[in-house]
Amino acid sequence: MNHRSSNETPAVGRLSVARVKARRFGQCALVATGAIALLGSCATNAPQDTWQPKGPNAKMIDDLQQPVFAVAGIIGIIVSVAVAYVIWRYKDRGQPIPEQTHGKPALEITLTVIPALILAVVGVFTFRVIFDLARTDDTQLVINVTGQQWWWEYDYPVQNEWGITQPIISSGQLVMPAGTKVLLRETSRDVIHSYWIPALNGKRDAVPGRIHTLRLEADEPGIYAGQCTEFCGLSHANMRMEAVALSKEDFARWIANQQAAYQAPAEGTLAKEGEAVFLNQCVRCHQVDGLKRPDGTLAIAAPDENVWSGAAPNLTKLMTRNTFAGAMFDLLRDACRDDVWKADSAEFGVKYLAGVDEACLNVNDLRAWLRNAPEVKPMYANPALLTETNGKYRGMPNLGLSESDIDKLVAYLLTLK
Amino acid sequence: MFKVGSKLFLGLTGFAALTLVAYLIFVERLALGGVALSVVFAVLVGLSAVIIMINDGDSEVQPRDVSLVRASMWPLVTVVGFVLLILGLVVAQVYFIFGIVVVLAALTEWLVQAWSESASDDAAHNESARRRLLHPIEFPVIATLGLGVIIFAFSRIMLAISKSAGAVAFIVLSSLVLLVGAIVALRPALKSALVSGICVAGAVGIVVGGIAGQGAGLRTELAEAAAEGHFLHRECGEEKSKYFDKKAMKTISLRTNPVAIVELRGGVLSAIMTGFNEPQKIVSVPRGNPVTFIFRNFDDAERRMVASLGTAMAAGAETSTEKEGHSDSNETCTQLIPQGAEQALTVTYAKPSIAQEDPLTLTVPGVTGQAIEVVVP
Ligand code: HEC
Ligand SMILES: [Cu+2]
Repeated sequence: MNHRSSNETPAVGRLSVARVKARRFGQCALVATGAIALLGSCATNAPQDTWQPKGPNAKMIDDLQQPVFAVAGIIGIIVSVAVAYVIWRYKDRGQPIPEQTHGKPALEITLTVIPALILAVVGVFTFRVIFDLARTDDTQLVINVTGQQWWWEYDYPVQNEWGITQPIISSGQLVMPAGTKVLLRETSRDVIHSYWIPALNGKRDAVPGRIHTLRLEADEPGIYAGQCTEFCGLSHANMRMEAVALSKEDFARWIANQQAAYQAPAEGTLAKEGEAVFLNQCVRCHQVDGLKRPDGTLAIAAPDENVWSGAAPNLTKLMTRNTFAGAMFDLLRDACRDDVWKADSAEFGVKYLAGVDEACLNVNDLRAWLRNAPEVKPMYANPALLTETNGKYRGMPNLGLSESDIDKLVAYLLTLK
Repeated sequence: MFKVGSKLFLGLTGFAALTLVAYLIFVERLALGGVALSVVFAVLVGLSAVIIMINDGDSEVQPRDVSLVRASMWPLVTVVGFVLLILGLVVAQVYFIFGIVVVLAALTEWLVQAWSESASDDAAHNESARRRLLHPIEFPVIATLGLGVIIFAFSRIMLAISKSAGAVAFIVLSSLVLLVGAIVALRPALKSALVSGICVAGAVGIVVGGIAGQGAGLRTELAEAAAEGHFLHRECGEEKSKYFDKKAMKTISLRTNPVAIVELRGGVLSAIMTGFNEPQKIVSVPRGNPVTFIFRNFDDAERRMVASLGTAMAAGAETSTEKEGHSDSNETCTQLIPQGAEQALTVTYAKPSIAQEDPLTLTVPGVTGQAIEVVVP
């Protein structure tokens, strides 16, 4: 083999200015990406941080992943350092090619057995956690969760021990008692979605035609944010959810209020006019339990005829929740919302149960929604483009309401609590 | 520059271009067929270019004895294929696709034959070269087609004759096959003409039988079932009716993930649901979404489960404002199943419980005083 002597001009290995620049750029990009990743992990306001478990199920996962991450990290560092050392130590300086050997059984077996052992240990602990997280026999409260483009519906089956004597239905915010083993029974009305509240547990897919279960338990009262984690179409990124944990007493209050009968607005009020607009415009999709038509019959919504998934949020107790449209928008103004989110756990329940009143209503976002919903949340709601769905909407269409109708509707919606 | 090969390919390329244009104009714009034809066109352009570049495979062999070339049926078949293809453009897509298949197959055969005939001056060697190339393709394709025809013909026979005659025919025929097979195996000296004669006779018999079976039509029960539709007769009573399914499915995959398993045990009906430690009497199901129940019968009589669908009708049947026109048979049910068997029932409740005059229920005809209430929020 020929080796270059030092006075020869090397044909390769010399870099053009352009290549040096490109390399510098590459290095900068690498450093920048690393820095972003590193700094990102320092965020103080990170409600969906998986490394901050707030309940026993998430804690179980955390207790597993911390040591696994440590072991993997140490191995990763050892391997990278070794590779870097070898690259530096044996780089081509024109030295002769050393003698080539083939195979070192002792070394190879050792290097196979050690990782196998490490993986076996990790495997044993992982399986234990998987089976513990799949348990359903210690459930204390069952909540049905149904996903659809692009919001979550919650319904509470009759459970007399919790005072639930008639079905309760809600959306956007999952209200549950703290310190209680809650079991979600998930399904979907259209495509596959996935339910994930990082602080409380891992993810579980919601699949049409199937019932999947997910354990949730929050140690303390509070709001825990999450989002759909299975790509489900146009507004997947806007399909969020919040789990609201209340103390058991506050939860009982919430249950009682959810089951309270519908109160029609008083005659002659703006809200009463809003009820009439609602009956005309909204009831074909949205159910308000107990709402009656002028002729005294119950108004029964027909989302099955108008919405592709066959459902639209039940608005009976809209103003008891803090968010709307798949938890994408706040129903509370920023200040009021901060007041609830940042309340300490003793006060939190009372503040949450107060719901939304006129002073705190985030009237801008709600009006924008009523004025033209597809403009503020991407949805397939253009009447001209619904051939694929038999003329049914995916999402809420623009209803072309007048500003005065919107005034009336907002007044009416404020009574729904 | 342009020799035989390049002329053939250039011609084909031109033809592909014409077909593509004709397809786009007459059949459909932006359809799958257009894409396929464009691909054919592009491939032919490429092939033509290659042929021209390699100088038309300029053979070193000098003019050969013309008598080496055999008569070939492939030009004829290719033409038939093209006719089908063009017919298909006008008449129906099936002919078009069939035409493509025929043209491609015939062209392949033709090309290989033409190539093999000029491979050397030795006709026998040329023929064996052709076989080596084509038999691995021809044999499986012909065998598949032949077996397909026989299986299809056999299925026509089995659908036409009665169930018991079908069983007899199957036993006799399979024994015959076994017998003939055994004889052939034991007597290798048997004339091959005789063996293939028997096989051909058998195949022809089955095909003729199949044609006769197709002419005779389905046997009465099947014809009746096809015309009536088992599920048109929503007979959800206690008794077996004329239309009851004599071979009801008795077990279900556990992976069905039902919303509830409804068990009839000792005259008591209860719903078992994941998450609930006790058997339930009330089941909550989401509105407007198909949900699956599994019914398990532990009673010693044959039983079925009936789901009432309520007075507010199922999806799309009426608008929310008008509640007239309920049908009183607004229910659906499983088949009658014996002790120990299970069946699934998938139901969609479009309207909530508050819209119903009576509670929605799951019941078992013949078992009184037992019902599971279905609550739809
Ligand atoms: C064609 C059906 C349809 C009509 C009509 C309709 N909506 Fe909606 N609406 C929806 C759907 C679907 C959603 C869920 C959209 C999402 O979050 O992605 C929704 C969401 C909402 C929400 C948010 C609810 C929540 O809990 O997240 C409100 C509030 C609302 N609609 C009010 C109204 C009002 C008021 C009217 C009448 C002026 C109306 N809607 C008419 C289909 C409809
Ligand atoms: Cu989703």
